[in-house]
Amino acid sequence: MGDYVWFHDVSWHASYAIYFFVIGILAGLSFLSYGSWITPALRPLREKAAYLSLALLAIGGLLLIADLSQPLRFLNTLNPMYLSFTSPLAWGALNIVAFGVASVLYILELRKGQDSARGKLLALVTALLALGLPIYTGYDLTVHQSRPVWNTPVMPVLFVALAIASGSAVGSLLSGGNAEAQKVLREYMLWSTAGVGVILVSILGTTNYGGSAQELTFMILTTGTMGMIFVGVGILAGTAAPVAMLFLAHLKQQTTGLMIAALLILLGSAALRYALLMGPQQLQTLY
Amino acid sequence: MSEELRVSPIETRGVAGKKRYAMVVDTRRCIGCMACQVACKAEYDTPLGVNRTWVPYKVVGTYPTVKKQFLPRLCNHCDDPPCVRNCPVDATYKVEDGGFVLQRYERCIGCRSCMAACPYNARFMLPAHRTYSSITRVVDKCTFCFHRVTQNLVPACVQTCIGRSRVFGDLNDPTSEVSYLVAKNATQVLRPEEGTKPHVFYIGADRNATEFGRDAYRQPEVMEPERSAFNRHFKI
Ligand code: SF4
Ligand code: SF4
Repeated sequence: MGDYVWFHDVSWHASYAIYFFVIGILAGLSFLSYGSWITPALRPLREKAAYLSLALLAIGGLLLIADLSQPLRFLNTLNPMYLSFTSPLAWGALNIVAFGVASVLYILELRKGQDSARGKLLALVTALLALGLPIYTGYDLTVHQSRPVWNTPVMPVLFVALAIASGSAVGSLLSGGNAEAQKVLREYMLWSTAGVGVILVSILGTTNYGGSAQELTFMILTTGTMGMIFVGVGILAGTAAPVAMLFLAHLKQQTTGLMIAALLILLGSAALRYALLMGPQQLQTLY
Repeated sequence: MSEELRVSPIETRGVAGKKRYAMVVDTRRCIGCMACQVACKAEYDTPLGVNRTWVPYKVVGTYPTVKKQFLPRLCNHCDDPPCVRNCPVDATYKVEDGGFVLQRYERCIGCRSCMAACPYNARFMLPAHRTYSSITRVVDKCTFCFHRVTQNLVPACVQTCIGRSRVFGDLNDPTSEVSYLVAKNATQVLRPEEGTKPHVFYIGADRNATEFGRDAYRQPEVMEPERSAFNRHFKI
């Protein structure tokens, strides 16, 4: 009673979570576009995935720039005189630009309409650069040593798994009734979402059994509205339910079930990113 | 963190010929007048809603055995500052001689990475409009009064501290008052487990004030009125 504390706003707001979501989907789509060169069943997705991933890059890039309090100074992140490579953001800025350039070159090659060796190589380069995007966004959180949950080595791995899951979910929605493609995408969705589940369990375990900051963050993440978003939508509806459905669909080959699972995965991955970004920032609000 | 332990090349402790400025806050002498907070606001025209230094307090104990425990707060000018290594464009940097952690306002892109990295909430975003300054929409923080200290003055908060709770000086100088206070008293830094090696040392700080208490658990929706009030007056 009668305490005097000072309110400090959180550093990163929800728009950053939307950016994470968009960047995850575009990375997953790039993996699929490259996958189409190796797995013939994914061939119908090649162009669609490449175009959509470039469009999402434009949206994600604009979101990121708009989130800066000095939007025009985003160019500073590309100035070699300023860049500081101890920050994952610097690597991220270079990664985004390199991915954008590779994507455009890849799409130009695709427009020629032939299955060229150069096309396959560009698909591989684009996919590798796309892999860097969820990794850097994961590191973006991991490096903050004072934030429970963020400061865990699994964060980049979680973001890669989420990227595969959400990219495959969008791929599944794009594939419609194509049974061959759906069969492959079902496997991708099932195992990546199961992987997300395993990582979440380990994060929750280490957070709950951690120090006082971890323990309090666990409480914030698992109760009230944040608990509803993280546990209810993110873990139960967006991870456990689609894994169960995909497992059943695996037996029964139901396209409708796959579509619903894909939508749940997208909903869940959006919720998880929001909760993982905002939840661990709450504790410091009144420190 | 032991005073002897030096692990990162960015650290200034014991580096010959280099100053290492630090502040000692003797909480036993703090009377909670908040004159330091006011002096800082006056020195920098810090906008409403944010502070470079602030003096929170906790009421500890049960009536009639109660006490107000003050804990003056500011940027710790950490010897190994996570805010510096997380800035993508070197807009925040550490001055090699002195250890001040400062801002390049003209370079800051406003990504708030440094704010997320600071374990002490020492950083804040400046609003879009200010009366006496054109420095807006970039991150700001305490500078240890770099402009005063380099003119052989002490920081404004130290100058004004009526209880002489705040003492400022060079820790690399064994004859300075801060060296004496750190050597002769049991001191504490905030959140030492983060490895930041703060340069603000507290004498007599109460763990009720330095640790996260149970009351730190507040759901975002409980904080929402506070946050929306803050945002109403604070357009970025
Ligand atoms: S207290 Fe925060 S802002 Fe100040 S140097 Fe340390 S990490 Fe940086
Ligand atoms: S907000 Fe400014 S000072 Fe802070 S990390 Fe970003 S560019 Fe650097």
